[in-house]
Amino acid sequence: MVKLKDVSRKYGRGEEATEALRSVDLDIADGAFVKVVGTSGSGKTTLLNVIGGLDTAYSGTAEVAGRDLKTMSDRELSRFRNRTVGFVFQHFHLLDHLDALRNVALAGFFSDGDERRSLERAEEVLVRVGLGDKLTQRPGQLSGGQKQRVAIARALFNRPRLVLADEPTGNLDTRTGGQIIGLFQELTREDGLTVVAVTHEDQLFRQADRTVRLEDGRVAEDRRT
Amino acid sequence: MNAGSLRRLILQNLGRNKKNFVFSGVGIVAGISSFVFFSALGSGIKRVVATEIFPLDANRIQVVPSSAQFDAWIGSRTIDDEALGRLAALPGVAAVYPRMKLAVPATMALIGTDIPADDLAKLANLPGMTPSMVEAVRKLQIWMEIMADGIDPRLVKGDAAFGAFADPPAGRPIPVLLSKRLVEIYNSSFAKTRSLPPISEVLIPYVPALPLTVNDSYIDRGIGGPKLSERIRVVGTSHHALLGGVTMPLDTVRRLNRFFAGEAAGRTYDMAVLEVSSSDKLSAVQQDVRRLGFDIDTSQKRMAESVGFAVTLVTLGFTLLSLAMVAVAAVNIAHTFYMIIYERKREIGLMRALGASRRDIRSLILGEAGLVGAAGGALGILLGLGLCVLLNSLAVRLLPDFPFKPQQFFGYPGWLFAGGMTLAVVFCLAGAFSPARRAARMDPAGTLSGR
Repeated sequence: MVKLKDVSRKYGRGEEATEALRSVDLDIADGAFVKVVGTSGSGKTTLLNVIGGLDTAYSGTAEVAGRDLKTMSDRELSRFRNRTVGFVFQHFHLLDHLDALRNVALAGFFSDGDERRSLERAEEVLVRVGLGDKLTQRPGQLSGGQKQRVAIARALFNRPRLVLADEPTGNLDTRTGGQIIGLFQELTREDGLTVVAVTHEDQLFRQADRTVRLEDGRVAEDRRT
Repeated sequence: MNAGSLRRLILQNLGRNKKNFVFSGVGIVAGISSFVFFSALGSGIKRVVATEIFPLDANRIQVVPSSAQFDAWIGSRTIDDEALGRLAALPGVAAVYPRMKLAVPATMALIGTDIPADDLAKLANLPGMTPSMVEAVRKLQIWMEIMADGIDPRLVKGDAAFGAFADPPAGRPIPVLLSKRLVEIYNSSFAKTRSLPPISEVLIPYVPALPLTVNDSYIDRGIGGPKLSERIRVVGTSHHALLGGVTMPLDTVRRLNRFFAGEAAGRTYDMAVLEVSSSDKLSAVQQDVRRLGFDIDTSQKRMAESVGFAVTLVTLGFTLLSLAMVAVAAVNIAHTFYMIIYERKREIGLMRALGASRRDIRSLILGEAGLVGAAGGALGILLGLGLCVLLNSLAVRLLPDFPFKPQQFFGYPGWLFAGGMTLAVVFCLAGAFSPARRAARMDPAGTLSGR
């Protein structure tokens, strides 16, 4: 699913430049549940952004779902993000003026655009993440765990093959975080999704079948769990 | 993103930022309403100039004898029957209408007490006629020198609404046409200050035949020969009629000129109006006319153009002012969008993560701006039209009468509305262009991580 070869990413120029990723080589198979750990600033989020096609200013080769991201136009890359990847963020990034249903259906604006079909699909995925009774609730009316479930539902909206989760439990208590991790595990097992989750807490995501540790932008450890 | 999704997202975003957009749209509304107001005023005034004050027939040219002295070899410089034939034979000329001035002076004595009592009684019964007007007519004592010319009746077809416009049989009054401009000036100033009745379609049929003495002058005492007492009857008003006198049928003037000035005077014309079959042949016909040794009288056209130019210039000044207002509003729009984009940068990042392309983001921002422009333009047009209607009604009711005072001060050509909408939308799009570009170029990874 993911093949990174000699991927480096620098921020800034000259002496002030910082290297977020340094010659990262990484292969992630279809259906894997991979945990990426590391301290703050180790390059975890940058790695996710590169894999997800949000950041193209890297050097090296990043191939995802058989496509070399570097060679894709903005339009193709946008389509790739829409169809192949689902993103889950630490801060949820839900739109406060929309209810859960419409937050999830937002991804539909950039795919087929049919409002009725989008709402039907949004309801389906919200039910799938256990929020069938919260469809009309706005983010302000939801708990942290529920918000993250809405965000996961949004990531699943277009039936992606790869879900990239950036600190998905970072804003949640341990119990709720555990439930979210359980949901990810379920998605890999039942739906065959590839999940790459970033966390700075090594103790979390014990269910992941592989752990990649980043240190100063390099892969310091890559082990099966 | 397809058009339906774009429309839904635009409406959703506009709904969220109503207050911001209302404030930035106010400038657009004000600018477009003033654009509509001043353009409509300019258009209305130009229409009055072109149709009432200096009416121009696009396909007609006025040919006059040449004033040049050195080109006698070219041929005849006077317009006689032969010249009329040559002019009529020019390619592109559809018709030739000759005009002839009365070769001798004429006088008119308007004495109210000479008007038969029956005629005065008829006048008194006309709608709008007041006793003071009838009294003013009765007391009228005017002696005046009158200029007259003769015109081909075909040129004024339809203007003689109250009688036949042809050389009358002996003893019958000569039908005359009055200049519409002269009537307008008389009605709005002369008649008003002297309580005389205005000349109108109601009055004309009841104006009694007036005495005219041909070959007579109050100024030139050296006029010799017999005087001829005639009567004239006003049969209508025309833009083609002589401004400072009366216009008679051509055959009448021809007859009078022959009688007073000899055979040649009855065959020599002062002007020929040429009707050209289509306006694209106008230039070629003008060249041919000059080649034949005649001049073209463009004084009327020049005056109309001068006044039209002055009106255009003033209108342009106010229009530029309106455009400046819209431009300032566009800067305001730009500012609003920069602010909104800053506030929405995470949302834009999220949309990019969900599959929005740069083009989608740009279309979204420009679509919002376009809709603000369209709404501002529509409101501006409505407000401008409302102002026009209100001011027109006030002007018609409150302004004192003046020559050519129109009932409609404003003109509403189709381009005005299309232009107002286009300006509003284009300026809003221009204002949002740079913010839209910036939004589209935002680094989604950076905005999502709060960088």
